[in-house]
Amino acid sequence: MDSLISELKSRIIEALNLEDLHVEDIDTNAPLFGEGLGLDSIDALELIVMMEKFYGIKLADASQGKAIFRSIATMADYIEKNRTK
Amino acid sequence: MCKNIAITGCGIIAAKQIGSAKHLCFSGFSYPVGEVDYSNKELKDMLDIPCSQLVSRTSLLGIYAVREAAANAGISTDAFGKCVLVSGTTVGGMDLTEQYWNVIDTNPSVMLQHDSGSCTDVIKQYFGFFDRATTISTACSSGANAILLGAELLATGKADIVFAGGTEALTRFHLSGFASLMILDKDVCRPFSPNRSGLNLGEGAAFVVMETAEHAQKRGAKILCYYRGGGNACDAFHQTATSPNGEGAYLAMTQALKNACLEPRDIKYVNAHGTGTINNDESEIAALKRVFGEELPIVESTKSITGHTTSAAGAIEAVICIKKMQENPSLINVMDNSFGFGGNDTSLVLSVNPSKADIIKYNNNIEIETIARSEITSEEELDDIKQFLKPTEYRRMGKILRSSLLTSLRALKESNIAVPDAIITATSLGCWNNSEAILDNIDEPKPTLFMQSTHNTIGSNIAIYLKCHGYNITYTHGRSSLQMALDDAEILIKSGKCKNVLVGLHEETTEKYRNLMKNNGVEGLKPLYSLSMVLTAKS
Repeated sequence: MDSLISELKSRIIEALNLEDLHVEDIDTNAPLFGEGLGLDSIDALELIVMMEKFYGIKLADASQGKAIFRSIATMADYIEKNRTK
Repeated sequence: MCKNIAITGCGIIAAKQIGSAKHLCFSGFSYPVGEVDYSNKELKDMLDIPCSQLVSRTSLLGIYAVREAAANAGISTDAFGKCVLVSGTTVGGMDLTEQYWNVIDTNPSVMLQHDSGSCTDVIKQYFGFFDRATTISTACSSGANAILLGAELLATGKADIVFAGGTEALTRFHLSGFASLMILDKDVCRPFSPNRSGLNLGEGAAFVVMETAEHAQKRGAKILCYYRGGGNACDAFHQTATSPNGEGAYLAMTQALKNACLEPRDIKYVNAHGTGTINNDESEIAALKRVFGEELPIVESTKSITGHTTSAAGAIEAVICIKKMQENPSLINVMDNSFGFGGNDTSLVLSVNPSKADIIKYNNNIEIETIARSEITSEEELDDIKQFLKPTEYRRMGKILRSSLLTSLRALKESNIAVPDAIITATSLGCWNNSEAILDNIDEPKPTLFMQSTHNTIGSNIAIYLKCHGYNITYTHGRSSLQMALDDAEILIKSGKCKNVLVGLHEETTEKYRNLMKNNGVEGLKPLYSLSMVLTAKS
């Protein structure tokens, strides 16, 4: 799980062009949207694309992302349970 | 006596229902669309254009609608004074570009029809009576802004007759782009319904013929209705999402009403933007309630019939408004809402009755001066953006977005202005780096790139950063774009609508694009160029 969390952080940095951030700067349990990293609806779409590309998870509806992308921890948990690759 | 703007003709081509696409030049797209039920060949046959001639579908649809509008208004020659074509389009010749993209190196001439301005020129050249043409691209409000500008050209005496509207063909580019944003409905869209779940894209074109009432009477033209007023404001919230309280929409509607000298209770029908997405409809209702109170007029979205025709929507829905007024005499004053990416929101008011006041009070004695300017000619200078923005603020911005914002911020700083009254952008090609990246991966574009691939991304990016809710428009007509932007700034300042205007010319190209254009005999294109200026009235 720890390696997935770390992998996820670096993939998020890449997918969302968070070039000034390092893996260790991202708090695993902090909110990704609004406060915390301050991500928005387009970032959520990029995270959906990323989950499909690397973990074979396809979301039918963008609104499902809300609960999954609450924090790195919730995201890692969802990927762990639903990954197909 | 006030100068009333009359509408004396209209032409329209759009889908009559949402369904499966039949004429798209690619397969595998499963969402329903509002497609015009003619193939390109059928359109060319109807328009007497040789089948072998390469013409974008955007231009074909535009020609069809302009021809119908001209016939409706009784115009077939250039005997009626200075005649100007104002067209709104964003897709432009993308339908051709994407078809040829894999073999574009051996077909570079296709690129000569790619940009929106050249699509308008194809329409202009088909008819013999246009003195000049202008192209506006504010994404889904382009057609409405074309009509708003058309009225101002007439009111300020810069034109005698204006054909204003919009045209847009369905393309793989924006179909898959909207799919990447996950806002397409798999069924027929249901705007304003509690169970709505997205939009259907559509295509089409519509143009209205506008002239002063005096001019119409002199040539014996029948007046269909009057253009009473328009409002253009920027939501300045997000490139794709609308603000929860619909600030931009609220400002556009209230300005249009004021311009029309009407009270909210005078409006009996609103043709809403009403795309059918959760976000748009919620924020549009919030804005409508702020304008009209709890007792709304009839609010309708016709996008469940035509689909969302993007740049053509404002014009198509203006023509629908005119037909509604003709069918139902109790509809004296109607409103047409169109909201675009980047929060480019425009509202128009049409009426059976002429106005009591001019839509513009133009003072030609006011002189304009440029009080600040900033230029960027190379990529190396972009690092300076760090002086103004945090990395999280510019992380998504491509080169042209950084250079346009940086030159704007420098020019505003030099002129001691925090937020300008208006932002006017000129660009012939828009965000080409992003467009090319999408063309290279057309079935699965990155949402971030698609969100930032329209011409008006540049101007709205500046507005979002500055929280500038003022007038915001983008001209995209080749090398004439900057002059058009400056002419518009002059209208804003001389009419007293704005004290200062931020005007910018922003261009970016890739090596591939420059090589293609070199083969077309176009040399000297730069990888990056930005010029921002602040204009005010001379004191």
